[in-house]
Amino acid sequence: MKEIIAIVRINKVGATKKALVQAGAAGFTALKVMGRGRLVEDKAVIAERRATLLALAQKDDYNTEKLITEFLDGTRLFPRRMFTVLAHDEDVSKIVKAIIEANRTDYNVGDGKIFVLPVLDAVRVRTKECGDAAI
Amino acid sequence: MIMVRAIVRPDKKEVVLDELSNAGFHAATVVDVVGRGKQKGIKFGDIIYDEIPKSLIMLVIHDEDKDDVLDVIIRHAKTGEKGAFGDGKIFISATDEVYTVSSGAAGL
Repeated sequence: MKEIIAIVRINKVGATKKALVQAGAAGFTALKVMGRGRLVEDKAVIAERRATLLALAQKDDYNTEKLITEFLDGTRLFPRRMFTVLAHDEDVSKIVKAIIEANRTDYNVGDGKIFVLPVLDAVRVRTKECGDAAI
Repeated sequence: MIMVRAIVRPDKKEVVLDELSNAGFHAATVVDVVGRGKQKGIKFGDIIYDEIPKSLIMLVIHDEDKDDVLDVIIRHAKTGEKGAFGDGKIFISATDEVYTVSSGAAGL
């Protein structure tokens, strides 16, 4: 039994849910979280995205440029959705692959992380089933 | 790799995150949570507050960095010299695999 914790973009929640159903894992828990990733050392990878966002932003706010840069290079905490999925050992790679495929963008950074943790036991409250049967 | 989940006072969240970043552990996830500890909440007269707001800081690190991270969190989440009830708890769990979505690569 494994616990898959995936941290994804908020506008990819729908795609992730669809991907999870197709991968055979319909049950999940989702949480709104704030987070940040590794610092972006090479500014070139975010240059394109930064230019697009700056073009969308209002011109009169002097803070905008700083804010956008900080959100993109990861100095600031930004909102993300955290999915927790329980899975049988043999389904883990399929689910991980599905989440990766659903969440990939061409922004280079900020697509999220997936953690796979071991789970000792699980219990279904309704039937008291334990272990693999509970998932 | 291990996952560190630290429950700290909400007002210590910023300090802990800044110091973790200075120590080289920049990536983290933060959730606002409510809970109670072994003090069974706080009691004022007849009123018991057992849903005390805290911040949960979650980060995944290499095994060998465990002591550094624990030291940073404990040093900065503590209130006063000796610490006080309600300063929080740290939980550590094993993590088998880590993937980065943008590259699909395994590992931190």
